[in-house]
Amino acid sequence: MANTDQTNIIGKGITIRGSLTGGGGLVIEGRVEGQIALKNHLTIESSGIVEADIRADELTINGTASGNIDASTKVSINQSAKVNGDIKATRVVIEDGAVFNGSIEMEVKLPDDI
Amino acid sequence: MANTVIGSSIVIDGEISGDEDLVIQGTVKGKISLKESLYVEGSGVVEADIETQNVEIAGRVTGNIVASDKVELKQDCRVVGDIKAPRILIADGASFKGNVDMDQKER
Repeated sequence: MANTDQTNIIGKGITIRGSLTGGGGLVIEGRVEGQIALKNHLTIESSGIVEADIRADELTINGTASGNIDASTKVSINQSAKVNGDIKATRVVIEDGAVFNGSIEMEVKLPDDI
Repeated sequence: MANTVIGSSIVIDGEISGDEDLVIQGTVKGKISLKESLYVEGSGVVEADIETQNVEIAGRVTGNIVASDKVELKQDCRVVGDIKAPRILIADGASFKGNVDMDQKER
């Protein structure tokens, strides 16, 4: 049970206010307000509502998120998602139909001679 | 998706509320209020006041517990705090420190 690859689920009927930290994957179907810091993959399902600053390795959003996002690899904002906030990530994908308001900062390595 | 699982690698500092079952294998500090059942598994560490319908504890809990139905302290659990519930079960091997209030009058 001490497996860090396990997936954690915050179900539809659950609300968390405060900070959530840890390893392992996390799927949010309910509501989280505060802060999230995760070492692995975070998925916000279409029923999920997150009002939090998020730090994660990879982030997939199908639901609603407001807050600043800092992902070390990739952020995917899917069709049904509504996102407000600033995103900082190496790769950012926004699908057709997704709603996004905020700024995006991709860590692009510019050539030295520019 | 059956219910909510806070895995062993997760730490939550704050307040959890809701109307579905919750399984805690990780660490939760703050406050928990649920309308259904709470399961604190062997690896779970809870430092929180708990308000729920049912609670089953196999891990460690520090805090006051109020349950509208039942509190069950399993073998090998460690619980420090006051418990208030109409039904309270303590298994052989459980360690518990605190007051128990079964409140027969209100039933």
